[in-house]
Amino acid sequence: MMKGRRREAMGLALVAPSFLFLLVFFIVPAVLLFVCSFWMAQAFKLIPAFTFDNYSRALSASGFYLLTWNALKNGLCTAVLTVGLSFPAAYFIVYRTRGNLLFYLILVSWFSSYLVRIYAWRVILGSNGLINTTLMQLGLISQPLEVLLFSPFATILTLTHIMLPFALLLLVSALRDVKKEYVEAARDLGASNTEVLTRVILPMCYKGLVGAFMFTFVISAGDFVTPQLLGGRDGMTTGILIANQFRTAGNWPFGAAMAFLLLAAFLIVYLGFVRLLDLLRLAPGRRFHD
Amino acid sequence: MSTPNIVELYGVTKAFGALTVLHDIDLTIQQGEILTLLGPSGCGKTTLMRIIAGFEATTHGRVTIQGADVSYLPPDKRPVNMVFQRYALFPHLDVFDNVAFGLRLKKWPKERIREAVQHMLHLVQLGEYGNRWIHELSGGQAQRVALARALVNSPSVLLLDEPLAALDLKIRHHMLAELKRIHQETGTTFIYVTHDQDEATILSDRIVLMNKGRIEQIGTPEEMYAHPRSLFCARFLGETNILTGAVRAAETDTTYVDVGPGTVKVPANGAAVAIGQNVSLAIRPEALQVSRLAPGGAGGDGVNALDGVVEDVVFMGSRVVYSIRTSVETIKYQETRSVDGIMLAKGEPVRASWRPDAAVLLTH
Ligand SMILES: Nc1ncnc2c1ncn2[C@@H]1O[C@H](COP(=O)(O)OP(=O)(O)OP(=O)(O)O)[C@@H](O)[C@H]1O
Ligand SMILES: [Mg+2]
Repeated sequence: MMKGRRREAMGLALVAPSFLFLLVFFIVPAVLLFVCSFWMAQAFKLIPAFTFDNYSRALSASGFYLLTWNALKNGLCTAVLTVGLSFPAAYFIVYRTRGNLLFYLILVSWFSSYLVRIYAWRVILGSNGLINTTLMQLGLISQPLEVLLFSPFATILTLTHIMLPFALLLLVSALRDVKKEYVEAARDLGASNTEVLTRVILPMCYKGLVGAFMFTFVISAGDFVTPQLLGGRDGMTTGILIANQFRTAGNWPFGAAMAFLLLAAFLIVYLGFVRLLDLLRLAPGRRFHD
Repeated sequence: MSTPNIVELYGVTKAFGALTVLHDIDLTIQQGEILTLLGPSGCGKTTLMRIIAGFEATTHGRVTIQGADVSYLPPDKRPVNMVFQRYALFPHLDVFDNVAFGLRLKKWPKERIREAVQHMLHLVQLGEYGNRWIHELSGGQAQRVALARALVNSPSVLLLDEPLAALDLKIRHHMLAELKRIHQETGTTFIYVTHDQDEATILSDRIVLMNKGRIEQIGTPEEMYAHPRSLFCARFLGETNILTGAVRAAETDTTYVDVGPGTVKVPANGAAVAIGQNVSLAIRPEALQVSRLAPGGAGGDGVNALDGVVEDVVFMGSRVVYSIRTSVETIKYQETRSVDGIMLAKGEPVRASWRPDAAVLLTH
């Protein structure tokens, strides 16, 4: 009796700090923001109300759709690129090497700050940057390519660079759970290397795959710093728009409403991705017989 | 062109870097037999099995299966299947889909797959378990699923790497009987790896005893037990008494060895021995005859006899094992307990003797 209670207390003590943190810094602000999205703003003042005006205003503006499409495009391209690049690397690290050297080398790129990396790409992609000067010296182009910098391309490239170590970390730990024995068992039963990948490895590291994809997607699609610094005029995203409502326009309710619309869009992407994996028969826990 | 040898190994050598773990192994495995690779930990049993399955390449030597050289074939192209020590059942699939895994890759039609899988699940007595998830199985059940998953592909050879090591003793004995039954019903050739001599003797048609990457001896369990060719083999299979001494005389079919104060007469083993050479004799505990000595009576050891004192008595169910301290060695004597049998007591002076052909001469 006593023992059970003490165990309960112990469990509570273990989860309490993180729960409290989430409550104070995420749940409460999110609820407040949600409530706020139904309010009105007049001359930088918030007026409590219950109106759907903010939502309808966003949904009736074609610009909102365009910018949301840009955000989702940034997120999807970054997630596909990041997972596509880090999965083979994780596979190589887990199954082909004994040491962790490569793994650590990639993780080291984490040690530079987010902004430093954004500016580094500005230097590389700019008109006087590494790529343009090289191409010009090779005589392949006569004018610097302006589209390199200040374009969605620059945003996606930079975001991929930023997200790669995170995705790699998630995928390496997911693949480590798929012991070599499973791979060998599948090979023994007649599976080619590709069949081992699709029938054993991917379903077995499903959680890591979904985790890495969604994590990369949400952070890149919602990011407003990288698109602002590198995206140029065509690279505007909902994130920037939302940030502007809070920082300059002072229309919190409108900003909040757009944030929740963006969240809904993320949710749809998540459901779509999960459904896609299921259709591709990559989800675990499925029966293939009746 | 059918050969009774289903697997043939010629001069198989395997090195990992500077470490050679298999030395020039020649071995043939016959159609339908249960062949056991037996040996202490690290002697290369798993490596040899993985070479047959195709997971390791040989450094030198060739492997043929059904007469065809498979040395360069990957595992998925070889007509063998393996049961892994930790089963390696796919946790994301249920029992049915685990067993169906190989057949689906072969693109069998759905109906045939269902029949084959159901048949196999019945064979391993898990007919009702098709819908179970892997984490819902006991160790013994998981073992059976692993067996079914391999056997459903009708392999020419089934490779089993210590399949019972993870099970407790009682289930292990039951599973051994099951394996024998399944072997009989399917007629599949089994290559079975173990370091447990009991498993090997219960199950095998032939045993391959390995030591440090070499084959020490091949034979039926009876041959191996009765005629060990080396000290290692005599010690590895069953309890045995080892006596050492110098050769006194060697005749064509009898060798005389000085052991302590007496002389031992033993059948020659065909190997040339020199007078004065140090040799060993192996005598099984149950091959001894032991009789009481009157206190202070008839001293001195005779031919094929050692006098001593009972030091310890251990009951092992139907058997009694005595330790007898003699002037040269403490030897073990084992007898079947009988209702009217005499019981020797600790401290009693006894004489242990044996027929000349009960001892085996070992020169290495
Ligand atoms: N991939 C490898 N790289 C280097 N050495 C290896 C490798 N695999 C096995 N060895 C070595 O080869 C030797 C034989 O190993 P193996 O696994 O065949 O032994 P075993 O007889 O199966 O032993 P056990 O009964 O403990 O399973 C051991 O010394 C082992 O350390
Ligand atoms: Mg082994």
